[in-house]
Amino acid sequence: MASVGIQIRDLSVKYGDKPALREVSLDIPPNQIFGIIGPANSGKTTLLKCINRTIDFVTTASVNGSLLVGDQDVRRMRNVYELRRRIGMVFPLPVGLPMSIYDNVAYGPRMAGVRQRGELDVLVERCLRQAALWDEVKDRLTLLGTKLSGGQQQRLTLARALSLEPDVLCLDEFSIAIDPVTTMKIEEVLLELSREMTIVLVTNLVQQARRLAQNVAFFNSSRLVEVGETKQLFTKPREQLTFDYVTGNIG
Amino acid sequence: MPDKNLPENGSTHFRYFVAAKPNGSPGDGTLEHPSRSIRDAIEGIRARHAGDSPSVRRLNGYDRIDICSVLKGPAAKAETKQRYEFFVDPLGATDLAIGSAQLPWPDLESALEGVAKMDAEGAISLAAGEHLSLSVREVFSATPVDRRKRRHERIAQIALGLVTLSLVVPLVAILSHLIYKAWPVLTPSFLFENPRNQMTAGGVWAPLIGTFYLVFISLIIASPIGVLAGVYLNEYARDNWFTRVVNLAVVNLAGVPSIVHALFGVGAFVMFANMGESVLAASCTLAIMTLPVIITSTREALASVPMNFREACWNMGASRWQTIRTIVLPNSISGILTGVILQVSRAAGETAPILFTGAALYMTIPTKGLRSFFPYSLQDGCMALSYHLHVMMTQVKGASPEAIEAGKSLPLEHLQYGTAVVLIGLVLTVNSFSIGLRMYLRSRKKW
Amino acid sequence: MATITGNLNERPTPARRGTSSLQRLGELAIESLIRLCGYSAILFVFGIFFFVFREGAPMLFGGLDLLKFFTSTDWNPVSKTPSYGILGLLAGTASVTVLSMALAVPLGLGAAVFVSEFCSPKIKEALKIAIEMLAAIPSIVWGFIAYMMLNPLIIWATGAPVGLNVLNASIILALMSVPVIVSVGEDALKAVPDSYREAALALGASRWEIVYRVLFPAAKNGLLAAVLLGIGRAIGETMAVLMATGNANQIPTSPLDRVQTLTATIAAELGEAVQGDDHYRVLFVIGILLFVIAFVVNLSADLIVRGIRGKQNA
Repeated sequence: MASVGIQIRDLSVKYGDKPALREVSLDIPPNQIFGIIGPANSGKTTLLKCINRTIDFVTTASVNGSLLVGDQDVRRMRNVYELRRRIGMVFPLPVGLPMSIYDNVAYGPRMAGVRQRGELDVLVERCLRQAALWDEVKDRLTLLGTKLSGGQQQRLTLARALSLEPDVLCLDEFSIAIDPVTTMKIEEVLLELSREMTIVLVTNLVQQARRLAQNVAFFNSSRLVEVGETKQLFTKPREQLTFDYVTGNIG
Repeated sequence: MPDKNLPENGSTHFRYFVAAKPNGSPGDGTLEHPSRSIRDAIEGIRARHAGDSPSVRRLNGYDRIDICSVLKGPAAKAETKQRYEFFVDPLGATDLAIGSAQLPWPDLESALEGVAKMDAEGAISLAAGEHLSLSVREVFSATPVDRRKRRHERIAQIALGLVTLSLVVPLVAILSHLIYKAWPVLTPSFLFENPRNQMTAGGVWAPLIGTFYLVFISLIIASPIGVLAGVYLNEYARDNWFTRVVNLAVVNLAGVPSIVHALFGVGAFVMFANMGESVLAASCTLAIMTLPVIITSTREALASVPMNFREACWNMGASRWQTIRTIVLPNSISGILTGVILQVSRAAGETAPILFTGAALYMTIPTKGLRSFFPYSLQDGCMALSYHLHVMMTQVKGASPEAIEAGKSLPLEHLQYGTAVVLIGLVLTVNSFSIGLRMYLRSRKKW
Repeated sequence: MATITGNLNERPTPARRGTSSLQRLGELAIESLIRLCGYSAILFVFGIFFFVFREGAPMLFGGLDLLKFFTSTDWNPVSKTPSYGILGLLAGTASVTVLSMALAVPLGLGAAVFVSEFCSPKIKEALKIAIEMLAAIPSIVWGFIAYMMLNPLIIWATGAPVGLNVLNASIILALMSVPVIVSVGEDALKAVPDSYREAALALGASRWEIVYRVLFPAAKNGLLAAVLLGIGRAIGETMAVLMATGNANQIPTSPLDRVQTLTATIAAELGEAVQGDDHYRVLFVIGILLFVIAFVVNLSADLIVRGIRGKQNA
């Protein structure tokens, strides 16, 4: 895994006529947790979709500007599947695929061509350990992924995201549907992982960003309002809007 | 015995009569022999309704006891006027109970004590023609309204049950009658022999094989195209007006009358494609008949796989086809199979589409050896079970009694019923597979 | 604290492996095949109408007097001066459809309500299987039943000289349409959210009151669609009515009269008509008419049902 940062220049996205992102320019440094906060509908999820180009599946979307992961412009990449393997994604709602836990985690590597059982065994154990799920499921790897609890399914999603050893890990409000204990476990994992990969953490929970992120960007109504070091953004933000949001007066 | 009126629905209204005659004979509370005082009446009530062994019964919700002062003369049986109303309510009772609606007595015993006390204090006086009511309330007992509702519900349930039965009973009656009438002829040889003697003897082998031909060929044409078309429409097609029109058209073409399919078959395959009346033309007609339904049931099976499974796979770098191959299809294959099997039974049973496209009245085919399993060629017509039944009903003259006597022929009726039973048996067997598959499906639900 | 096993530098990197170009080619081939099937299915589906139209068009736009077609009962295709009036046939189709629906709708809706609201799960399973069996019986077998079993029954019950008439066909069509009405109706009732039922129960309603005060108004679109689909089935049926109606082209005045339907006419006469001549083409015109009627009925039912789904998702 390389250390890749993300450079976004003048990114604008429209769904039909409605703007979702307006001329966003942002630098995400490598190997740290980068927080993105903001109220609903401010464009945070759209930004993530642009990073791994799942925005392509939204037929009404039009995208302008450039987004570089490492040194490659994702919009110009021909092999978009390659891109998506380099970027892991965790959604708000936990999704366990209807297959065994083992197959869940092995899915990505299998699609990418890994066939050897031995390799997959090592990989599955490693990813489940990284996602803090191994101890709970090591005796029942054949259990259906959909039968796990919400918190376990979210960690399973995380394990899947890690299975392809991504350069960038994106999490979109990963904790809203799971219990606090699991959230804590995952947060510990993220801190550990940030030493070797770039993590983009989109969250509605301002305190979570404060805990985990080294730098934070604040979005509002499809615009990037402010970006800076966590400590600075939360104690002495430059914009009034930012101040209002982090103190809970709006959003 | 006390006069019991039964107003609506099961609550009982007990009336006890008093005629103030302090020194008269002790009555028993009836109209003919009224009690001589309120206190006596109360005693009588206590004996009848209170305590451990009431002589009538204990009171339930919405029962009422009236103590009526008797009017003399012809008006004696008339309705009396209510002068006092008291209430007994076990759940509403509080420490202070005076028998009013807000502060009711907790039970009949204390109510009777209370009334007796009031009487002793002279607080109650009933003029002739007036009565005192003691109403019992129980919150969780059925009110008259409840009881009426429940009766209506019971009636509705029985009526609707009968209605449903009126559908099941004919089914059972028809099936049993068919089997009964066909019984003499239902032997294995019936299945494996050809019709002979101008269809007055023999079996249904040729039509049976013909039906298998038609169904099999139409299946291998329609299922791959139908399933893949369903995959296209649900997974690849963009959601624009054209796709919506196509989906609408496909769903509604499933309801086209079968004779119109016959006309289409004649126009397209017999005439335009120059196939003539042949197995091929008939099979293609059946294929087009089953195609819309296979497409629709495939789409429904695919749509039942939740979208977030697909999104999870896309985000891991799987392509559309990889996702379909590994997640969507495996989890919808049973639904797809069910749809296809149902169409198999439909194709086996339909007559109209093959009437003018390939069904033949009679063809000789071998009954022994390998050729008996593959007797028909694609360019010629074939016999078919459904059409054979039609022929047996309309174009076959029964055998003469002499021929039947001689054992050379069978009564027409037996052959007709036999053919019908074989056809219906074939169709219902295939359908049971589909039902069984569906039940297996449900038990193995993965999410 | 989560631990990571293994050495960072020693692990294989599956993400770098990717898919080979051969694999991509194979995928492209499969996706093209899927697209091809999609387009050809669309083609066949529209083709049904096209080919029927093609055979009937010369008469439809050529020699057919459309006014007489719809208003005259004089159907005499094989005489020296042929006339093509289908009023009698329309009356035949209409009469059996109306009478069969009069039987099928109360039975079907009643059974749908019973299965959906009033019976235990085990009985429900058994009933649904029975209804499916009823639906699976091929139409020629229904014709057989009409001819062999119902015919003598009607003669015995009503004293009519012949038991093949409107009544016979209507009973048979009712039994054929009821499964459609029951299954679509039951779907419509199932689609009413349980919260409606629970709210009514909390207000003290009995199950019957729930049905006619809450469910019928809420599900009326779906129930209407069920009835429409039943009508479509009855109008389009061929082989059963061929056997059951007695095939006499006349406007019926009583249920014991014989009639002939549009569908049976095609089935009975197409075999004898010379391919390409007027009679042949007029039969195709009748086919076009049937196609349009059935399509409109099914489309209305479908749109009504989509209307509900649209509202529920909104």
